[in-house]
Amino acid sequence: MASGMARKHQTTIATGIGAFVLSAMLAAPLAFGEESPAPPQPKPMTTDAMPAPFSQDCQVGNEQIVEQSPLPNVAAALQQRKRIKILAIGSSSSLGRRYTHPGGHSEQIRDILQTAIKGLDVVMINRGVSGELSAQAASRIKDEVALNDPDLVLWQVGTNDALAYVPLDELEHTIVDTVHWLREHKVDVVLAGLQYVKVEAQDDHYKAVRELLRKIAAKENVAIVRRYEAQRLITLAEGSGGGLAPDEFQRSEVGYACLSQYMARAITLGLFGQNLHVRPIAPPTQPQH
Amino acid sequence: MIRQANAIDFWRGLALVFIFLNHIPGLYYSHFTHASYSLSDSADMFVFLAGWALRYVVGQPGRQQSGGYLVLRLFGRALTLYAAQILITMIAIALLGGAALLADNPLLLEWHNAAAVFQDPVPTHVGLVLITHQLGYFDILPLYVALMVMAPGIALIDRYVPKLLLPVSLALYIVTLAVPISIPTWPVEGQWFFNPLAWQLIFVLGFLIAREDGLGEFVRRHMIAIRIVALPLVLFFLGVVQFNWWPDPTTVPEPKLFFIFSKTYNSPARIIQFLALISVMTVTYPYIRRFAPPLVAYLSMLGRNSLYVFCVGSILSLSGQIVRFLYKGNIYIDTVVVIIGIAIMTLTAWLPEWRESIRRR
Repeated sequence: MASGMARKHQTTIATGIGAFVLSAMLAAPLAFGEESPAPPQPKPMTTDAMPAPFSQDCQVGNEQIVEQSPLPNVAAALQQRKRIKILAIGSSSSLGRRYTHPGGHSEQIRDILQTAIKGLDVVMINRGVSGELSAQAASRIKDEVALNDPDLVLWQVGTNDALAYVPLDELEHTIVDTVHWLREHKVDVVLAGLQYVKVEAQDDHYKAVRELLRKIAAKENVAIVRRYEAQRLITLAEGSGGGLAPDEFQRSEVGYACLSQYMARAITLGLFGQNLHVRPIAPPTQPQH
Repeated sequence: MIRQANAIDFWRGLALVFIFLNHIPGLYYSHFTHASYSLSDSADMFVFLAGWALRYVVGQPGRQQSGGYLVLRLFGRALTLYAAQILITMIAIALLGGAALLADNPLLLEWHNAAAVFQDPVPTHVGLVLITHQLGYFDILPLYVALMVMAPGIALIDRYVPKLLLPVSLALYIVTLAVPISIPTWPVEGQWFFNPLAWQLIFVLGFLIAREDGLGEFVRRHMIAIRIVALPLVLFFLGVVQFNWWPDPTTVPEPKLFFIFSKTYNSPARIIQFLALISVMTVTYPYIRRFAPPLVAYLSMLGRNSLYVFCVGSILSLSGQIVRFLYKGNIYIDTVVVIIGIAIMTLTAWLPEWRESIRRR
């Protein structure tokens, strides 16, 4: 039954990706931290690139899911060699999952980016270790950067730390230290925050970790994909009968498919910002509140 | 007959307790294991002692069983370990599923690489059986299975061309790190957390040092000199762990895996630190035996029944994680988890010995 449902998702999501591009997201004001140091940004690129599209299932109206931040090192790599290397790391190994896209979500990110940016060659390196806390991931990130020399790190961070009740100051120190190290080594980073799960919505620690990630992203001027908000809106939309997933776990799976799209969007926004060529599209279905 | 308490079983018992504690992320008491102060951890000790235990099975030179019997026995052992891996993985999946239902929380289904089992069961079950899909913290036994599949080859080289064993093992290790060669996972894209082609070196070292002659004899004869060299190394690596006394990994020469601290590839620094650590640590055993005989008897009992205790310990670690999650981990919960966990591990080790003693009456 589960595989049948997975197949259903696969078909629907694949169709959705081809059908919609959400320009309204680009028009939304972009939030930055007040203390944001502005890293040197290569001059704006002239390109035919489009914003990485969202499928219908992943559209969340005017809610800002991807907080933009420039990706100067990825932009430089793109200009110099039309090839970018992305290291996917984090606790859940979710980018290696293959249910909704052949080859897994990391392949999905690659496909979306290569479609959005003509002539781009994307190399994805998956190094997720399940159950890993941020402190261990941080140490591995340094080794993997040394071994693979990526231009960008996609870091799914915080969920395991939240579940293991890692103290917030310890978590903050780990993430900030790693972001600084990556910046010093000319590697950009996109963070993916916590997942939305209904029963966790009222948990103080879970909420605090979510807020901490947003705070760090704003202060350090790094892009963050706000999965929690996205999944919450998708869940609300489904609650009104507009969605696909009949239960919360499947919704979580849809969330992963969307995560790939949000990450791809974060990368294209980080690369091109306001210079993106935006196609006119039909307005998205608004989630019902 | 039940073995007398000895150093190998004692250290193996200690490694089992530490693995149990270290496999509960965020647990307060994990700060008291050597993993917090050392590059290597209990996994290195467990694999090294598994190699040492292989010597008991293979026998010392001149007191060995036939090659055919040995090969069959070692493959049989690999099969037992494989069956244990499948069993504990299935129990772990059921634990996660049950806890998710109880807490009405799908996040639990995503823990430790389990999501694929629930969401994409067809290929994932194939992967579980092929051990190309491993749950997080349930990845040591697959390594042990792989090492035990290599064990007949190791034993036969040791018997017929003993001088070749260390060079072959070292060459395989060097090639694995230099290329590098990884063992892929499937269906979830990734690589084995413990690369058996790299970890075989520490296994072979345990096997060779347990030998009465050759490398084992050399080590025993020069133990004092080795400890004199080892102590500053242990202290230096303590500084490396605590104060980051090591070059930035991006600045080390190629091939980088030789100079960084990769657990997956068991990098040379880890192995050197581990060997230094055990040579220093083993000084303490005679004193522990003299002043704390119940502790030696207790940990040796765990070590004698290591497979049972390891399997139950793995399930207890996962249960501990779930309990910490449900009751919002704090030192009180951690204390309860540790006390109950160690009590059940004790019972697990005691039961087979009790049955054995009944049988012998």
